[in-house]
Amino acid sequence: MTSTAPRTPHDPPAGPSAGPAVALSDVHKAYGATRAVDGVSLTVERGEFFGLLGPNGAGKTTLVEIMEGQRRADSGTVAVLGESPWPRNTALLPRLGVQTQASSFFVRLTAREHLATMAALYRCDSAAAERALASVGLTEQGGTRVDDLSGGQRQRLAIASALVHDPELIFLDEPTASLDPQARRSLWQVLRDLKGRGRTIVYTTHHLDEAEALCDRVAIMVAGRVAALDSPGRLIAAAGPTTRLLVPADRLTPEQARAMEGVDRVTEEGGSLVLETLAAGRVLAAVDAIAGLQGVQTRTASLEDVYLDLTGAGAADAPRP
Amino acid sequence: MSAYTALSQAGYRAYTRDRTTLFFTFAFPLIFLVVFGLIFHGQTVEESGKPYINYIAPGVLSWGVGNAAVFGVGFVLMQWRRDDILRLIRMTPTPVSTVLASRYVLALGIGAVQAVLFVAVALLPSFGLQLDGRWPLALPVLVLGITAFLALGVIVGSYAKTPEAVAAVANCLMIPMAFLSGSFFPLDAMPGWMQNLSRVLPLRYLNDGISGALTGDGSLTDIGVACAVLAGFALILGAVALKTFRWSDKS
Repeated sequence: MTSTAPRTPHDPPAGPSAGPAVALSDVHKAYGATRAVDGVSLTVERGEFFGLLGPNGAGKTTLVEIMEGQRRADSGTVAVLGESPWPRNTALLPRLGVQTQASSFFVRLTAREHLATMAALYRCDSAAAERALASVGLTEQGGTRVDDLSGGQRQRLAIASALVHDPELIFLDEPTASLDPQARRSLWQVLRDLKGRGRTIVYTTHHLDEAEALCDRVAIMVAGRVAALDSPGRLIAAAGPTTRLLVPADRLTPEQARAMEGVDRVTEEGGSLVLETLAAGRVLAAVDAIAGLQGVQTRTASLEDVYLDLTGAGAADAPRP
Repeated sequence: MSAYTALSQAGYRAYTRDRTTLFFTFAFPLIFLVVFGLIFHGQTVEESGKPYINYIAPGVLSWGVGNAAVFGVGFVLMQWRRDDILRLIRMTPTPVSTVLASRYVLALGIGAVQAVLFVAVALLPSFGLQLDGRWPLALPVLVLGITAFLALGVIVGSYAKTPEAVAAVANCLMIPMAFLSGSFFPLDAMPGWMQNLSRVLPLRYLNDGISGALTGDGSLTDIGVACAVLAGFALILGAVALKTFRWSDKS
């Protein structure tokens, strides 16, 4: 690390020479006998969109809180933007944006007043509050008391609170959890814009489609450990190249399907015949010859399949009759 | 806008937009003052020969001010910790001292408004308080008293995890203390053991100091002693408050 000097939040993020945004090495954290984080090592590069996935209780929140400097790791090393976040590091804090739960607002203030207070706590002006309000599409609700906002609006205000000082590294905890599909898509745009401006984003989510769409890399945590860490694409590819073809059951008999070259397995699922194959192109041609391709669907593995497989829920998802 | 100004402003807005708190801070003590003042209008306390209003006006003022300081910061700290607002502040570069300073200036402002209001009502002919020439000495007494009770409120707010707990603990401290310190009944009319017991309570000295300044009761030394003891309480309770302050209920 060449420089650990604090920079103002409005500086552009440092180049690659400044080192990774987050570097964790063999981090442990236990609560009594529960090993919440059990030897996690990972690196988040600057400008990266990093997803932290895993079932509830897998240690995601504890790990994020350690990165944010809200908890102290029992052992291991933690470097955030080249500095140690623990104990409370007031030089580092302005460079981090942290979304807390969607009820953390100054009571009886309006959305605009809350953000102006947040801006002042970060020593930014009230124009910063107005920008943050606009960035999550809440300008019209600026005069509404925080207690009177809807669930989705509160969620967006919590995100705006994390962005008000234009931080380099942003931690978001299930930011789209209670948003409707439109608000969710518009937040995706906000997040992509942040990434486009070189910001680093670490976020937790249960929406696997979202992680697949947004993240450069994801870590899947199970029982305090990182079970998988790679780009969504590579994780999916590694999980298995099997393609599933869904053919309407009245157009093809199981016997015909089994007779096709390249078909490994045939099952019936809700009015469709499911053909599993490693040679999708050849099997599709064979299906076309017998039944035509109308209504035939092709499915490859998704991040959700990888996730369910790793987190042990895959076993419960046995093929239906 | 500085972090200190912003926090003070946010606190002021939260305070003035809350009718329940406004009622308990200003109207509730005033009800005691009015009821006791009207019941005992024109009467004097047998043991000392002084008018009853000379006891009840400083008594209600000191209790009202102390109560507002304890409850105000107690509720706010508990609620800020419960709702993660302290965590939110902790993630900004704003130091704890700024957070506490903003609460301090709010408490002083509330105490000043209370004092003006209660004294103005007590001066009305139907209550008949006569203000002594040394009334400005009530200001340092008030400041020191508010400091001590604010520190007590920080301790309460750091331990209590629910609004019910804040109310229960603060009431357990403040209501017996009000009676034992002579806020509602003249200490001069109380048995000797109670007068002695009152000497360990900060409210007794806040009472004494304010009563000495407003009514001219006792000597200047008495006011000085009251100030010194209140400063001592403020120092000790303040040290405990800083020690018990927590950003979060989590470990």
